[in-house]
Amino acid sequence: MPFSTPFKRRTVLAMFAAPLVLTVPAAAAAPNVAESFVDENIHKGLEILRDKRLSTVQRRDQFEGLLLTLVDVRRIALFTLGQYRRSAPQEDVEAFVNAFKNYAAAAYQSYFAKYTDQTLKVVGSTQRSPTDFIVQTNLVDPSSNQPPAEVDFRVRTDTGKPVLVDVAYQGIWLSLEQRDQFVAFLGQNNGNVRTLIAHLSDLAANLGKPVSQQ
Amino acid sequence: MGKYRIWIWAGLILAAGLGGCASTPPSAEALAANDPYEQTNRQTLKLNGQIDRYFVIPTVGLYFLVVPEPGRRGVHNFLGNLSLPTIFVNDMLQGELSRAGKSMWRLLINSTVGFGGFLDPASKMGIPGHGEDFGQTLAIWGVDEGPYLMLPFLGPSNPRDAAGLAIDVAIDPTNQIHFKQHIWWDAGRIYFTLLDLRAQNYQTIQGIQRSSVDYYSSLRNLYRQMRAEQIRNGRPIRQDLPDF
Repeated sequence: MPFSTPFKRRTVLAMFAAPLVLTVPAAAAAPNVAESFVDENIHKGLEILRDKRLSTVQRRDQFEGLLLTLVDVRRIALFTLGQYRRSAPQEDVEAFVNAFKNYAAAAYQSYFAKYTDQTLKVVGSTQRSPTDFIVQTNLVDPSSNQPPAEVDFRVRTDTGKPVLVDVAYQGIWLSLEQRDQFVAFLGQNNGNVRTLIAHLSDLAANLGKPVSQQ
Repeated sequence: MGKYRIWIWAGLILAAGLGGCASTPPSAEALAANDPYEQTNRQTLKLNGQIDRYFVIPTVGLYFLVVPEPGRRGVHNFLGNLSLPTIFVNDMLQGELSRAGKSMWRLLINSTVGFGGFLDPASKMGIPGHGEDFGQTLAIWGVDEGPYLMLPFLGPSNPRDAAGLAIDVAIDPTNQIHFKQHIWWDAGRIYFTLLDLRAQNYQTIQGIQRSSVDYYSSLRNLYRQMRAEQIRNGRPIRQDLPDF
């Protein structure tokens, strides 16, 4: 018969009660150049997306302008080509970097536009090397009682000024996902970077349109 | 019936795995991506896309039309409450006592004050929900994920997570309660779980499809990163990020 002795009852009770009294310790953090960079500039980007006075074209242009000053698009573009970066002709690689800029601007705008009603708060950072930081932020939705979403920004400072090289939403890194897609696409198209450029250009144009017109 | 359910799940998973074995020899890219059954997986994704297009999306549309937002939230809460015993067991098996405590408190509070789980007062009291499953438990125990699999109806997976799903079904206490017409309870629960999952992720999936160069590999990467994040239970940041 289950729980028939006082010892068994106590054991089972202890097993179920122990977790109830344990708590999670809070983490501490210290500000640095990467945190300040993210704190100042991400809010600027969200402000542009929130500004109802801007037309669609103005909003796109302003967001793209800000993005290109904050993000090292060239570095990300070269990373996402994976092993094809070395085998592709140099002029194709340069054309890809340009196509990627347009695609990244449209894609980032599309991602961030979903969160304009929410607030982003820097909660700390991790220094992976002297020039490689991950800034941790919480995206708080005032209308929800769910815990805030974790958004992390990877910041490099090896070019003399801080630049963004990647962003993660709930632990999912965008550049890693893009690299897998691009490498898979190139694998299916004999490594032809020009096919990828054409595809990216179509996608960028499509992402700029309202959902109803796609 | 209940004791056979696990074998039905196992059969489905095995069928998917064997289907993968029947595919053409894997390419170098597929092997590099730990996806030797890529061709079969892509066919399965197409099948899932057709099911989604002709069955799931219209049903989700009807669900949005007929059931107002508070009702959908109630269904979501109720289904989440039903999975709490399984989450609690997996918390304990992973040695996550603090999270196990939260699962138990949520179950106690939401099942009583929350009218059987339709409301979520526990979140308002500072005990938010979290997910946990036996696939994650196996990962914590050191079991490797194995090759990528795209399961019919169920979507992205791998042998570890598929086996974990079967175990979760087996240890779910609601599957141990036997009553007449239990099959209707099972069918209803699976149906509403899929409906709720798709309704919750409708816009996200649409966004991925819109912005993907290759939807299949995008899903594969997102699934792997998401599972790695779930196994880590969120922060701290992963250490294996590549250099740029």
